[in-house]
Amino acid sequence: MTVPAWSEAFTTLGPVVPLPLPGPVREWAWEGATGAGVKVAVVDSGVDGSHPLVGGVDGYAALSLDADSEDGLRVDEGPHEDLVGHGTACAAIIRSLAPDVRIYSVRVLGSNLKGQGSLFLAGIEWAVEAGMDVVNLSLSSKSPRWFGPLHEAADLAYFSNTLLVAAANNYPGPTYPSQYASVVSVAARQGDDPRSLAYNPDPPVEFAARGIDVEVAWLGGESIVATGNSFAAPHVAGLAALIRSKHPGLTPFQVKSVMHAAAENATDHRQGASGAPGDIPV
Amino acid sequence: MTEDSEDDRIDLPDQLVDELTAVVRSTRQVFAAAACSCALATEGGDALRFVAADGAGASAIVGVTIPVSRGIAGWAALTGQAIAVSDVEKDARFARDVAESTEYVPHTILAAPIMSSEGEVSGVIEVLDPGRQDEESRLGEQRGTSAELTVLTLVSSQVSSVVRLTRGLDALQTGTLSPGTAGGHDAAALTASMQAVAATGPEGVRLARAVIGAVADYVQTRR
Repeated sequence: MTVPAWSEAFTTLGPVVPLPLPGPVREWAWEGATGAGVKVAVVDSGVDGSHPLVGGVDGYAALSLDADSEDGLRVDEGPHEDLVGHGTACAAIIRSLAPDVRIYSVRVLGSNLKGQGSLFLAGIEWAVEAGMDVVNLSLSSKSPRWFGPLHEAADLAYFSNTLLVAAANNYPGPTYPSQYASVVSVAARQGDDPRSLAYNPDPPVEFAARGIDVEVAWLGGESIVATGNSFAAPHVAGLAALIRSKHPGLTPFQVKSVMHAAAENATDHRQGASGAPGDIPV
Repeated sequence: MTEDSEDDRIDLPDQLVDELTAVVRSTRQVFAAAACSCALATEGGDALRFVAADGAGASAIVGVTIPVSRGIAGWAALTGQAIAVSDVEKDARFARDVAESTEYVPHTILAAPIMSSEGEVSGVIEVLDPGRQDEESRLGEQRGTSAELTVLTLVSSQVSSVVRLTRGLDALQTGTLSPGTAGGHDAAALTASMQAVAATGPEGVRLARAVIGAVADYVQTRR
């Protein structure tokens, strides 16, 4: 498997019928938006706000285990560094699409890019309580133990008007929260267009975006070329931020419907999503 | 010398070293590569230890442990994603110091993760400088990093089976796994592994039957 899991599902998609939004839909959805007024949390390995492609971080929360605290957790809201580069890569992708968003780094992963389920859960809850509009989750849990608690957190986010954008794991198998219907699940797809979106009606992964051989920001002000569902999710998070910036009254399920209508394989009898009648490029 | 901590240990039966040494030798030849190596993840998942290698720098790299946050091999382990880097000098992930310690600094690296049946990374197989001019590649027209990565990924999936089966058989032989008895979890894992092997086709079915037969024979002798 040289491409991430679930990518293959997006190579042979048929058309999907979108909501009859004003056309061209992609233009209506995000054209002219900059992400201004939208708060995006990156739950990951930390974010290097000094990286030129990130352009600053507006807030921090580093979560760690603390046996002395009541809930066993500690939240440090002072500035922190990125332990791997992964969170910085995601934040820079979001910034490239939505230059005026406010980015918050929620660190739950260690230097091995692994983390405790309890920290992951607490990171999502922190983002919801902090009133984030969009949360990028380029990480997931495979553990059935966390299915229930993460599901509850995803529902909490959904009803709190926080949109969770969750990458599927690169390796096949159920992962949470990408598996839940309340989130926007994402896999990587070939292509160079950072605003490309495709919709897959068959579970478990609904959306695909650019995520194969992408140049991304990394530690030390550097950039690397990387492949993974992890790098597709922030493209979708960036587009979601643009939609929420341009249409601030939309709820998470409405944003998802707009993205569905803006997918390249969304077309109806009147007009293709891209504005070209009958254009189904996937 | 200090004892490895629990998290730093690697389940490395002698037979697995032999198997992986054979794998890296033949893989290096297939790719006409300068070197091929295999590293296994420590039990805590924080590090990779090179346990088999063939070609340039082989003797120096075996036994070396690197954190998973370092190097192209570390990247494959971190992300569970195969990677090809055609000019490692330009890549921030490249662990030049590790390469220099082996006295061979490659130009191109291919690395593919070795996955466990639970979807965890149990190691990485790495090919350095495939397609050297002084050796004939067995890949024919399957040259170029994209096609080569596809082949290496196929090799890594076979290595995954080798790692699982060899460790499972070693556990049976050393008495740390008891099929059909109180060790129900391990027995179930073995059954799942055999089902996965059998699902690969007729060869897999034959192999699974052979292994299960060996297990049955072993259990018989223990009664």
